[in-house]
Parts: sequence; structure tokens; C-alpha cells
Amino acid sequence: MKAERTPRTDKELWRSLAAGHGASPGPVSDLDLASWLEGRLPEAAAARVEAAVASDPELRRAALELAELQGGPLPAAPVRMVVRARALIGFDAERQARRGGWFGRMFPSGPRHAFQRSAMVAMSIVVAGVGFVIGGGLGESFAQQMHGSEVAATTAANPSNELADYFTGDEL
Amino acid sequence: MTELNQIDLRALAAGNKRAWDAFVAAAAPLINAVVRRTLSSYRLGEDDVLDAAQDVFVRLCARDFRLLKTYDPARAGLGTWLSVVARSAAIDHVRRRRQATHALDDVPESVLAVEDRHIEKLKIPHGLLTERQTLILKCLYDEERDVAEIARLLKIDAQTVRSTHHKALLRLRAHFGEESP
Repeated sequence: MKAERTPRTDKELWRSLAAGHGASPGPVSDLDLASWLEGRLPEAAAARVEAAVASDPELRRAALELAELQGGPLPAAPVRMVVRARALIGFDAERQARRGGWFGRMFPSGPRHAFQRSAMVAMSIVVAGVGFVIGGGLGESFAQQMHGSEVAATTAANPSNELADYFTGDEL
Repeated sequence: MTELNQIDLRALAAGNKRAWDAFVAAAAPLINAVVRRTLSSYRLGEDDVLDAAQDVFVRLCARDFRLLKTYDPARAGLGTWLSVVARSAAIDHVRRRRQATHALDDVPESVLAVEDRHIEKLKIPHGLLTERQTLILKCLYDEERDVAEIARLLKIDAQTVRSTHHKALLRLRAHFGEESP
């Protein structure tokens, strides 16, 4: 006697199958997913994203949730959220970003600042030259100081003479 | 209020404070909605929603707006891209938070569910179904979504979803020698 098979429902059939397709497709970038959600990807690229969405339950849930939110009315965000987010970028950050920090402040880019850049370069050369000259002068001064200190050292070798001179002076 | 598509992206990526403030005002409702939707199954409080939303904004402006600079308006709308980024940041926020101890009741059932691996399943041969057919069947049976939701996701009409589903099942039944119910 042949046992009669009861046809399975579509869901039962699907559940009895392993839906994995072997090698999992590569990761999908945020921009690719966004593009796919908007239906902007060409067919081949869309198929790659669809394969990734089909194989990754987390990505599938993300896609379904985001599709649900797309185009729908959005409630206003809490004021605290907006205030906190705005505080992330201050006017100081803007100035720094515009100038590019200390170096940017010294050497601003752009055609409008060509004169300022030339002046800064010229000034740097002058400062370096003066520094070189002063450095030489200091060298001489240092040599003199070294020579003088030898003389002073012989004088300072007998402090009792200085005291004697002092008291001798008082007798006058 | 400035709309998202009116934001000066160049000024924003250059760190312009006014552009940032306008961007925050325009993007906050969307980011708020995405973060709330993402965190809804985790029973987290208002502070977590605000923290996760702040994470999104931090992610956007961190390292001299590195992430924001990767956005390409030619490939996707700013709102859609932001919603993908916001969901991803919200999930990361939950993961970081779950590293600390938490009550078992706070974990959604979907996370705790364990697939019964004792049943040996028949493997669907590669190429039997198209990517779209597989995705539709997974959305219908694994995610238990309705046809309208899948149609919205794939930007096709509900009838196309039904016919794709029907064709996919015909192929499966033919391949595995199953009769239609």
C-alpha cells in the first residue's frame, strides 16, 4: 500500500529548505544600501545587494525597517537632541577648520593671501639672518666670557685679600 | 527650516558652524525616528535614544567629517543615506550597551531565539532561485512580512511580489518533486 503524501503549504516547504546559497556575497556599503533602497542601482549591482540582503538577516531587517520609514511623516526631534548635536561643532572648530590650525593661520592658502604668504616668508628670512648674526655675536661674547672667567678665577682664589682691602679702606 | 536636500554639503564638510546647525535641525527628525525605530525592540529608555542619536552625529563629524565626506549625492538621497548610517550607529550603541550586564527580560525574543538544528534541511541549489525570489521568500516566511511591505522595499507593485513568489515556489516544487497544496 502506498502512503499518500499530504502536499505541504508554501511556508512548510520553505521552512524545510536550507536557503543558504553557499558563498555569501560581499559586504554592502551604506551608500550602496541607500542607493538600492531608492531603486537607483543598475540591475547587476541591485542583484548583488539583494543577494546580501537575502543572506543576512540583520541587513534584511534593516532594509525592511528603513523602507517602512521612507517617505513617511516624521515627528519633531526632542529639543535636547538638537541642542546636544549642535554643541558638537562650535565657532572655534569652524575657525580652526577654516585656518587649518596654527600653520594655516601663519600661511593661509588661496590667491587672496599671496601677499601675506610672501611677507611671512620674507620676515622668516630676515629673522633667520638676524638670528645667525646674533648667534655669531653671542659666540664672541661667550669666548670673551670664558677668557674673563679665567682671570676672575685667579682673583677669587684668595678671598681673604678682598676682606683685608676692605678693612684697610675703612682705616682711611 | 532648511530641508535636508538644501544643506550646503561643502560648507558642512568644511566645519561651517551655521551649516552644521542647519544640518542638525534638518536631520534630527529623521535620525530621531530611525534611532527610535531601531531601539524599539530593545526596551531602552529615552536617555539611550538621545545617546544613540548623539552617536550618529558624532560619527558624522568625527575625524574632520570623514564619514560625511564619503556621501555621494549622485548615488543616493541624503535622507536615505543618513537613515542607513543612523540605524547602523544605533545598532552599535545597543551592542556596546549589551556588553554590560542586563536583565534577560530586556532582551528581545528574536535575539534569544535558537534555530532548531536537528532538522536536516534540503539545500536549495545555487541558481535555482534568483536573488530577488530568495529575498521575497525570506521576507515572507522568515521575517513574516506582508506583500505590501515587500513591495515597498523593492519599489515594485504588490502583484509583482505575488507573481515572483508564485514562480519561485513553482520552481522549488518542481525541483524537489513536491506537489502543490
